[in-house]
Amino acid sequence: MTSIQMPQLGETIVEGTILKWLKSEGDQVKADEPLFEISTDKVDTEVPSPVAGTVTKLLVAEGATVPVGTAVMEIDDGSGAGGNGASAPASAPAAAPAQPATPAAEAPAPAEAAQPTPRPQQPAPARTTAVPSTMPDRGPRSGILSPIVRKLARERGIDLATIAGTGDGGRITKADVLAATAAPPAAGTTVTPLPSVGPAAAAVMVAAPSMPAGQGEEAQPISHIRKAIATHMLASTQQTARAWTMVEVNVDRLVHLREESKEKFQANFGVKLTYLPMVTRATIDALQQFPLVNSRLDGETIVTPRFVNMGIAVSYDAGLIVPVVKGADGMNTVGIARAIADLAARARSHQLQPDEVQGATFTITNPGPYGSLLSVPIINQPNAGILSLDGIQKRPVVVEDDAIAVRSMVYISMSWDHRLIDGELATRFLARVKHNLETWDFAEDLGL
Amino acid sequence: MTERRPAWLLAPPGLIDYDVANDAMHALARRRLDDEIPDSVIVLQHPPVFTAGRRAAEEELLWEEETVTARGGAVRRIDRGGSFTFHGPGQLVVYPILGLGDRPDAAAHLRRLEEIAIRTCADLGATVDRRADVQTGVWVGDEKICAIGVRLLRTRVTLHGMALNCDTDLAWFDGIVACGLPDHGVTSLSRVIGRDVRVDEVAPIAIRHVAEVFGLRLTQAPDEIVRLFFAAAVA
Repeated sequence: MTSIQMPQLGETIVEGTILKWLKSEGDQVKADEPLFEISTDKVDTEVPSPVAGTVTKLLVAEGATVPVGTAVMEIDDGSGAGGNGASAPASAPAAAPAQPATPAAEAPAPAEAAQPTPRPQQPAPARTTAVPSTMPDRGPRSGILSPIVRKLARERGIDLATIAGTGDGGRITKADVLAATAAPPAAGTTVTPLPSVGPAAAAVMVAAPSMPAGQGEEAQPISHIRKAIATHMLASTQQTARAWTMVEVNVDRLVHLREESKEKFQANFGVKLTYLPMVTRATIDALQQFPLVNSRLDGETIVTPRFVNMGIAVSYDAGLIVPVVKGADGMNTVGIARAIADLAARARSHQLQPDEVQGATFTITNPGPYGSLLSVPIINQPNAGILSLDGIQKRPVVVEDDAIAVRSMVYISMSWDHRLIDGELATRFLARVKHNLETWDFAEDLGL
Repeated sequence: MTERRPAWLLAPPGLIDYDVANDAMHALARRRLDDEIPDSVIVLQHPPVFTAGRRAAEEELLWEEETVTARGGAVRRIDRGGSFTFHGPGQLVVYPILGLGDRPDAAAHLRRLEEIAIRTCADLGATVDRRADVQTGVWVGDEKICAIGVRLLRTRVTLHGMALNCDTDLAWFDGIVACGLPDHGVTSLSRVIGRDVRVDEVAPIAIRHVAEVFGLRLTQAPDEIVRLFFAAAVA
């Protein structure tokens, strides 16, 4: 059972009106098929289904105005137990910001976007298997081929004359070319083709020559989440001028503080005391000192928020997601610890709302618990930087008077976008984070 | 400098019939939704027409439809957000057909449309602004100079857009309660600046700001696409 909510169409849009139901109770719906029309201030839109299934319940009346996030419809998608809310627009976790780099690398194909778990692809309705010997009359518009279709066909070595188009007036669409690639008309083949993937994944993977699964190998369709991550990560590497800087931080005091206080902290506040909230707090201070690190490029404009929305990379069963601690600059370390614990728990149980994974102004990733010593993360666009907290380790270090001592040390590093930031700023920023962690007395901020 | 996305510019000359333009715009948007074409920006002028968003109140059309027809205008009920507005000669209309990606932010799209109007007017010496306290759109005091209304396909592709009065005959606005706001007026660039400001003068400036604000690298759309805007006239 999937509950469909009034979608969030931007942070400042708080409610929407159901203009018209396009489906009734009992209707079958396909993934990405429009379910209802909504109206907000100056924007009307149809809202597509995130799943395929049967409409079981309309929860509000036509004409009703409800807050964003309100459940308005229930769809039985065969997933059994109710629960996970699904907001209509695909809420890809780390997916590209509002302005994707190229149309091709943009939103996943509708059917893919809406299906969290792979399902057998529906057969393309109008794709003919026989190769027509002469071009059928496809109406006046069949001759119009988009550059994307031409390019795709060229790359895949497909003769467009052998494809029957399923678009308006018999036009050949990108999906037709992809379908022709996935299942060539040669009948009787014994090789099971890789399940066809949507255009976005195709765009991500188009450079690699196809190498289908052979004996002893397992083929699995790429998930929506995986595809969103792939698109987002590839776009970041292609669109940012990534540079990387590292500092080494003596966290001896933090380790002692945590060892002494973790039971008390858990008892007081109900969440575990980890280093991540402390590093987050120290990073927020540095972002306030150096606001450009908290900024983003919007076209040729640098946008610098006066607030910090901290993205925290969280790994979960489906992949990676970056929930956002909104207004993190207004929180003390306890507040941050609670917010991170809450978001991480809900990320892992698939209960995040779309706007909880949007709007990060900076991001922290924390691979340390898994044993890393040093990481070079990819920037979570449109952020200017991403900070990596790696594993804390006891190391011999040179202390005062040239003595060698054992201290708890950690490498904290940042991948940063050289389009926005230069090395001096990046280094001074990290030095500030280091200074904060080495000199602040966190006990008070932690209520200890 | 960030890379701009390639996009098509469609600027059919003359006055483009509302129904033809509306059909062509929807056809482009459906193809944009299927990722078959790049983002596209339509820039044109319409013959006189009142259009009503689906939440427009019928009583906000102040003239009988016969009166409108007699004056050479038309009335259309359409699928965008917002109430009644007027399009006609002397008004620059911009319809961006843009993919909003996986995380559509409709509010940001509205703000960008406003930004384009603000920058365009500023280049011509007119100071205009948002009125967050009143309504989306761009204003000179209590008078609206640029109306905005948008529709999304499946929340992901934009339709409709903005209408900036250059030397529009503002008498047409007597026929409606524009944007559902009885206590606010309308104005035009010509009136604000105090000289005749024609669409031909404004369009290139607006197109430059469209490219900047949306981050687009505009190239002329192929002929067969531009032809969509004349198709129904032939049929």
